[in-house]
Amino acid sequence: MAPSSATQQVLLSPAELSYLHTSLSLTPPIRPDGRASTQFRPLIAETNILPGTNGSARICFADGTEAVVGIKAEVEKSRPSYSTASNIETSGNGDSNEEDEDTRMRENEAEAKQGRNEWVEVCVEIPGFRDDDSMPVFLGAMLNEALLADGAFTERLWINRRFHWKLYLDILLLSQPLSYPLPLLSLTTHLALLSTRLPKLKSEMDEDPMFDDDWDASVFLFSRESDAYTLRPPVTLLVMAVKDNIIFDPSKEELAVAEVVLAVSMAERPRSGKKVEAERDLRLLAVRTIDPPSRLTHPGVPNAINTATGGAAAGTTEQAASRREVTQEEGVWQPPRGGAKRKLIAGMIRKVLEKGGVAEEVLDGLDAVELG
Amino acid sequence: MTSLKRSLASDPYASNISSKVYVRSTKSGKVQKIVRELYLRQDIPCSSKLCTTCIKTAPRDASGNLPPFVLSEKPAGTKKYPQGHYLIPDTNALLNALDLFEQTSAFYDVIILQTVLEELRNRSLPLYNRLIGLTKSEDKRFYVFFNDFRLETYVVRDVGESINDRNDRAVRRAVKWYTEHLTQAVKGAGTKAAKIPAVVMLSDDKENLKKAKKDGIDACSLKNYVEGLENADQLLDMISVVKEGRELRDAKTAEALYEEYFSVSKMMTGVKNGTLHQGIFNVSPYNYLEGSIKVPAFDKSLLILGRENINRSVQGDVVVVEVLPRDQWKEPSTKIIEEETMNKDENADAEEGEAVVTERERKALQEEVKKVHSKSSEGRPQPTARVVGVVKRNWRQYVGHVDESSVSQSIKESRKQQTVFLIPMDKRIPKIRVRTRQAGEIIGKRVLVTIDSWDRDSRYPVGHFVRSLGDLETKGAETEALLLEYDVQYRPFPKAVLDCLPTEGHDWKVPANTDDPGWKDRRDLRGLQICSIDPIGCQDIDDALHARPLPNGNFEVGVHIADVSHFVKPNNAMDAEASIRGTTVYLVDKRIDMLPMLLGTDLCSLKPYVERYAFSAIWEITPEAEIVKSDFTKSVIKSREAFSYEQAQIRVDDASQQDELTQAMRTLLMLSKKFKQKRMDAGALSLSSPEVRVEMESETSDPIDVKTKKHLATMSLVEEFMLLANTSVAAKIYEAFPQTAILRRHGAPPKTNFEELANQLKVKRGLELRTSSSKELADSLDSCVDPGEPFFNTLVRIMATRCMMSAEYFCSGTQAYPEFRHYGLASEIYTHFTSPIRRYADLVAHRQLAAAIDYEPLAASVRSKGKLELVCKNINVRHRNAQQAGRASIEYYVGQALKGRIVEEEGFVMKVFSNGFVVFVPRFGIESLIRLRDLAEPEPESVFDAEEYVLRTSGSRVVEVGLFDKVVVRISDVKEESTGKRKVKLELVKVGEVDTHE
Repeated sequence: MAPSSATQQVLLSPAELSYLHTSLSLTPPIRPDGRASTQFRPLIAETNILPGTNGSARICFADGTEAVVGIKAEVEKSRPSYSTASNIETSGNGDSNEEDEDTRMRENEAEAKQGRNEWVEVCVEIPGFRDDDSMPVFLGAMLNEALLADGAFTERLWINRRFHWKLYLDILLLSQPLSYPLPLLSLTTHLALLSTRLPKLKSEMDEDPMFDDDWDASVFLFSRESDAYTLRPPVTLLVMAVKDNIIFDPSKEELAVAEVVLAVSMAERPRSGKKVEAERDLRLLAVRTIDPPSRLTHPGVPNAINTATGGAAAGTTEQAASRREVTQEEGVWQPPRGGAKRKLIAGMIRKVLEKGGVAEEVLDGLDAVELG
Repeated sequence: MTSLKRSLASDPYASNISSKVYVRSTKSGKVQKIVRELYLRQDIPCSSKLCTTCIKTAPRDASGNLPPFVLSEKPAGTKKYPQGHYLIPDTNALLNALDLFEQTSAFYDVIILQTVLEELRNRSLPLYNRLIGLTKSEDKRFYVFFNDFRLETYVVRDVGESINDRNDRAVRRAVKWYTEHLTQAVKGAGTKAAKIPAVVMLSDDKENLKKAKKDGIDACSLKNYVEGLENADQLLDMISVVKEGRELRDAKTAEALYEEYFSVSKMMTGVKNGTLHQGIFNVSPYNYLEGSIKVPAFDKSLLILGRENINRSVQGDVVVVEVLPRDQWKEPSTKIIEEETMNKDENADAEEGEAVVTERERKALQEEVKKVHSKSSEGRPQPTARVVGVVKRNWRQYVGHVDESSVSQSIKESRKQQTVFLIPMDKRIPKIRVRTRQAGEIIGKRVLVTIDSWDRDSRYPVGHFVRSLGDLETKGAETEALLLEYDVQYRPFPKAVLDCLPTEGHDWKVPANTDDPGWKDRRDLRGLQICSIDPIGCQDIDDALHARPLPNGNFEVGVHIADVSHFVKPNNAMDAEASIRGTTVYLVDKRIDMLPMLLGTDLCSLKPYVERYAFSAIWEITPEAEIVKSDFTKSVIKSREAFSYEQAQIRVDDASQQDELTQAMRTLLMLSKKFKQKRMDAGALSLSSPEVRVEMESETSDPIDVKTKKHLATMSLVEEFMLLANTSVAAKIYEAFPQTAILRRHGAPPKTNFEELANQLKVKRGLELRTSSSKELADSLDSCVDPGEPFFNTLVRIMATRCMMSAEYFCSGTQAYPEFRHYGLASEIYTHFTSPIRRYADLVAHRQLAAAIDYEPLAASVRSKGKLELVCKNINVRHRNAQQAGRASIEYYVGQALKGRIVEEEGFVMKVFSNGFVVFVPRFGIESLIRLRDLAEPEPESVFDAEEYVLRTSGSRVVEVGLFDKVVVRISDVKEESTGKRKVKLELVKVGEVDTHE
């Protein structure tokens, strides 16, 4: 379970928490900012803001959190694997006749065009945290996990059997982490990856790579032309639940009373070129539960054990705790306990992925961002 | 969700900032996206003298000076643009016809756009350098306009627009801006008379011209423009034919004759992992179809045989080769193959049915194959290779003449354009196909051409005609041809160089007052009995000598060298020019100076009877020629006399002369003999190269006779002391600057170089040539004598000299100490110090020595290893070229001296081929080839015994010619068809001595 320490402690009293919790448990839930349960806050997004990078994006959430992602690509010599090493050996001799070479190349193509996870390096920076603190490392790992989940992404970085692109994703949170920043970072990374371009390759086969020096000729890492087999970059969304209500894009106050928080990563398979209006083909990549910050809140004190309201105080703290456990008084805040129900989690995932669901809305929104 | 992109409109300076994005690949394989910000300005001037607004805003330099405006206020007009015009060429126009722009008859007031300049640099560096040269010359009025930095002319690349299209658009924008700007400027000035000159874009791109028409700007194709000029025919020839030709070919879809080159990346990968090799392509001087390439991977050169394998590379190109499979390895040929004998009657216009290998060539090749096969048991076939790509073309301008047979008679007179073959003077360069309208006029002329391209479907490279140097065999044309061929800078010194000379000119004198700064740290040696000894008529006297006895019985000997570094300061224009020229070039009738005349023959020259600045090396030497101590100093001297070698010899030999100067010379002579003996004992070689002198008629300077040079004792006197000075200075500057001293080395020749000669001597004369050290070699050369033939020893020495490496300048930090050795002089360390007037290396050595003795601080340029290496590289090349030019000049004049005469002379066989042999005639210092077919008609049958170096002929003429044999040849002169040179022609009279009754 991911730690939630990224969010600042919400300074709400147990009574306020209880109020919030109650209103979010209603059907339909009443959110503090009046949104519907699946409604996202407006955001500002732009791409290619860093001219020196291969791709970059900036997203600004309405609550003031802001992130910038820059992606740099470098040509790197591939570490020969056992299979490729032997292939290069034999083809390097140059005495085998050309036809042989060609057919073998084709055969090997599929097998050879394998990427390695080490070709991608994700680095997350959050103000106030050291880069080896658990929070940025964990966020980086989650983003990396989603990116590598389908195993096909690194294939895009393959140049030839001897060389590959190494991708450095520098993810930078510009503001204080007011709410859990994962969705913000994920969306920004998604946009940056979409805008990433690599110099156009001019050399052939296993030659030392040579590239076109015209930047305008460079090719998108995720080309516009539908390549039907591989996924677009992933998006990770935060979903929370209070009782049976599933709420998207939670604000920090909402998170403070969440019972379950999930990070759902999914990606889209490009629609085939002919049917533009065809529905989106979404794939679930990863689900992570996140330790909700509500667990760290202080419980409210029921009247029954409050001497000020005529209750009888418990003798020891242990007794107080156990008595609080058993009382189920309306209006008294209790930090959530226990795990999430499977049914609820299934419901949350379904809500994300279903046709006309939240993911589609998010992707529609991101599609509207112009990739310069 | 909403998205928003920040707009730049809010930034008030946004319009002045733009950026350029491109991909840079570094040598180490890194690939970077580079973003350059451009700050657009509005004060870049148009540089037209008509304009009054630009002059106000144009930026000043640090001292507040405004660079002068370049473009004339009254530019020349043409029929089409009578009001006068400025030209703006696009990149293609310059690529296709830079020669046009170098003409003096037209092409003035040209605006070179930055866009064009940068594009040209990417396409062709040599053309770029020539253009830069043009923009620097004041009288051509070329102005570089930085259009990409000026706000109004900067063009942002549109989406989907190619770089070329963008650049074309930038050119059109600049033309438009110039037109509008000038109109405004002239109107603004209010003068009514001034006409507004047209601004004309020159382009060969049809699309560009069409768009220009649409934009309403003046534009013209090169052809149309040139047709409006006076000497149109001449100028039209200078437009490269590449494009036309290609269009023509496309239509025909001709078959490709050569294999396609590998892609650059493929070549680089191959070279990196060692399967391909990169090197400089060299053509054998005896066989134009045989090339060789020295690559770092192998000790010996790889052979490249035949046209397909040579694959369009030209002498000097940097190429990448692939080693051929073992079964295609061959021996280098023992046969002379010359292009003109093989492909005589070809028609340059014929393009169909061209095969790379003509029938005759194929036959010649087959014969070779047969021979290799028959000898495969003991013959050692050598690895051969095939050119797979060219990394860098080293095409230059070539001098040659038109192959008359390729010009069709019917149109000789007409002006119709036709294709002719040009035969370059350098035999290693293939024929060049040139389209010209002046075929009739340039027949029989020395002409200059350039190669434009060599496509896969063309057997010969395609070039264009640049200019005519004059009639064949006229002195002017031939001399200029020589200088061009050997890349000797012969233009007069530019003004910037002359500005560096002392303002007093010939009136400059050593200051009388010894407090003058010129006297600082200079020793006053005016009292010494100094004299100089040089060849007759020498004007640039570099060196002078003195000697006097000391009270302790030793001698003081001084070598005084002209103090050129006093006049040529580092890093000024004169220094730059001298470093480019590298050396003075001596031709038979002409001298091309490294330094302006004023310095070379007057101010620096150690002329007699006047005071001169000098750099002196002074030794104390015992009578046994041991050096007790040495000392270097700047000085002021006054030479007492300038002797010629002959005069000095006479004076020394004349016992009645007892004056101080003669005594000093006798002392020097005595010491020099001892020095020489010591050198010889150490293993110095005395080598030989044929040297002759051409005597000229004094008035017409026509050559009248050829004499071999006589050797005098006074010559070796001077030589010995110069060697001494050079060696001492070398040690001194190496001690002071172990990393950056400029030195001269002569590598020990690899043993294999002598293998052939040693074997020849053994087989033919039973003599042994030992080559393990220079001492061994010197001794065994001494023993190579034929009692019956005094010249034999010299002949062997000449041949041994050709096996040697050539000496070279280098910077001490680039070699290990043992590599410093001068093999020929058997000296551990050596430099050149004694001829700063005529060699740039000496000048550098002077500067270093001056710094070593704390006379002056060392200039930065002679302190940096990298810069010195460049200097060394250049002067090594210049030195070699100068020598070759000198030799070629002698060869030409020997030919002229023999013109119309027929002489019978003795000669010696130097080299035997299977279809001919080379004869050397000592009397004239000439060597020439006698082919079998020259012996008799029809060509006699022959058997070549490669083991015994004997060629036996039978049939129409029976002779037996062996190596080193003495032969009698009849020498006559003939105009060589292939190169257009008048050359001596040798005919074999008989083998053996000249009959005594003659």
